[in-house]
Amino acid sequence: MSNGRGGRRPSMWLRLLPALSIILFLLLWEMVVRLRGILPIVLPAPSSIFNYLVAMVADGSLPYHLAVTFARIIAGFLVAGFLGVLIGVLMGMSSIFSRIIDPWIAALYPLPKISLIPLLIIWLGTGEAYILTISAVTAFFPVVISTYAGIRQTDSGLVNTARDLGASEWQVQTKVVVPAAVPSIFAGLQLGMGVTIILVVAAEMIGGSNQSGMGYLLIRFGQVMETEKVFASLIALAVFGGVIIKLQSAMDRWIAPWAVKKS
Amino acid sequence: MDIVIEKLVQVWDDGRDGVRALDGISHHFRSGRLTCLLGPSGCGKSTLVQIVGGIEQATSGLIRITDPNNPTAPAARAGERSIMMWQNLNLFPWRNVIDNVAFGLEMDGVARQQRYSRAKELLATVGLKNFEYKMCSQLSGGMRQRVALARALIMDQPILLMDEPFAALDAQTKIIMQEELTRIFEKMRKTILFVTHAIDEAILIGDEVVVMTARPGRIKEIIAIDLPRPRTQELVNSPEFGRLYDRILHLIRQEVLDAMRQQDEAVA
Ligand SMILES: Nc1ncnc2c1ncn2[C@@H]1O[C@H](COP(=O)(O)OP(=O)(O)OP(=O)(O)O)[C@@H](O)[C@H]1O
Ligand SMILES: [Mg+2]
Repeated sequence: MSNGRGGRRPSMWLRLLPALSIILFLLLWEMVVRLRGILPIVLPAPSSIFNYLVAMVADGSLPYHLAVTFARIIAGFLVAGFLGVLIGVLMGMSSIFSRIIDPWIAALYPLPKISLIPLLIIWLGTGEAYILTISAVTAFFPVVISTYAGIRQTDSGLVNTARDLGASEWQVQTKVVVPAAVPSIFAGLQLGMGVTIILVVAAEMIGGSNQSGMGYLLIRFGQVMETEKVFASLIALAVFGGVIIKLQSAMDRWIAPWAVKKS
Repeated sequence: MDIVIEKLVQVWDDGRDGVRALDGISHHFRSGRLTCLLGPSGCGKSTLVQIVGGIEQATSGLIRITDPNNPTAPAARAGERSIMMWQNLNLFPWRNVIDNVAFGLEMDGVARQQRYSRAKELLATVGLKNFEYKMCSQLSGGMRQRVALARALIMDQPILLMDEPFAALDAQTKIIMQEELTRIFEKMRKTILFVTHAIDEAILIGDEVVVMTARPGRIKEIIAIDLPRPRTQELVNSPEFGRLYDRILHLIRQEVLDAMRQQDEAVA
């Protein structure tokens, strides 16, 4: 190994900077809390948050609620992803279909989906059906809109080329238009995943009669002012969300490496 | 295949009066010959080959595509017996090299094993062995050009329409590709329409050079290239080559100046 300076790769020092920045911040936090004697109920020290985190993993409560939330996210995402891609592709293929669906999307997209929660609770109660519906409905929109846009933006040169090489109209759609839209579809699915995570946790907070999931956990700890546990749950949720998003990008790269721009 | 075009007119819709790209072009592209279309930028060369290839519909005029060896057969539709090689290649970025080359056969329902073995033959013909499973984005410009050529050749159509296929290549790669094309043409004897900006390229590979005027595109002059085949790059040093070059340069200079003036006026 060279000493890094002057080499092509960033030096060791530069690569450690992000981690250092976090460590420094935590140290500062710990010091401020200890030196000024801030009450844990207001702002717990990082070290005690960490102890709670370990305890909550050990007694199985955190893994359980994370798993429940994860299952709900996957369910909402799959429903939204499947319907969004399907309807987006159909809209791209058929102008009749797109004319029928377009006004609904235009009308409903700007509506903050979270405002549907009271209505959904009236209709569906506060169980799993409600959580699934609110997250899937919200995630559906970015997916369908990106898919449709991707299909419509297909390079007409590629379409002409396929026709010239003897593709039927159906083959043009399935072998050119849809594959060409994959980058947009993936972008839509990533937005959809982000939205699903938000809505599942929010729904667990607001309805959540099942008393499970990270949203429920956060609200409960908040109500009894167990601030350490609130922080511990937040950290778990942040890491968990990050892992899901990273996993999704990795899967996209694996399925369609050509669609992912090199950074 | 003989291609006869008569009074082809193409007016593109530009939201205003329309752009007259072709202004009544008539010509007979002879079977088994390589005709180069030479003209200033924007004169309608791409438009012409796309109409002959059935990709675009002409505003008016006639195209007759017939087989001189089978005069009783009905004329072919535009595009039915031809394959296009595009100015910007139009490779499918989500397909690897072999699946790009085999695309046309796949659309025809040819079984995977057969189309792959045929694709491998053609990749060998264009000098691209051992790259079958690379993605096109991993290839150099010259290699991508070869993929596009193989994808067109695999269709085994008698007419090949080539729209500035070598324009984007560096000078050395271009020479190699010109020789490659000349070799393939001399072997396969297809009817080729080859659009180019380069006078030397037109003389080197063409049997005939059609010089077009600035827009609206008309035929200014047709120059037969009677240089013997097989041809190689050394030809550029011969006196005949120099004479042809000067003559074509003289013809095209005025048209290029006209085209540039048109562009200035369009901007003003
Ligand atoms: N699909 C189209 N719609 C509208 N106008 C078009 C279209 N294709 C070409 N044109 C116009 O027709 C004219 C001729 O274009 P064409 O592409 O045939 O020129 P060209 O000779 O191939 O030029 P170049 O050498 O730059 O490729 C241009 O003014 C162009 O803007
Ligand atoms: Mg052109």
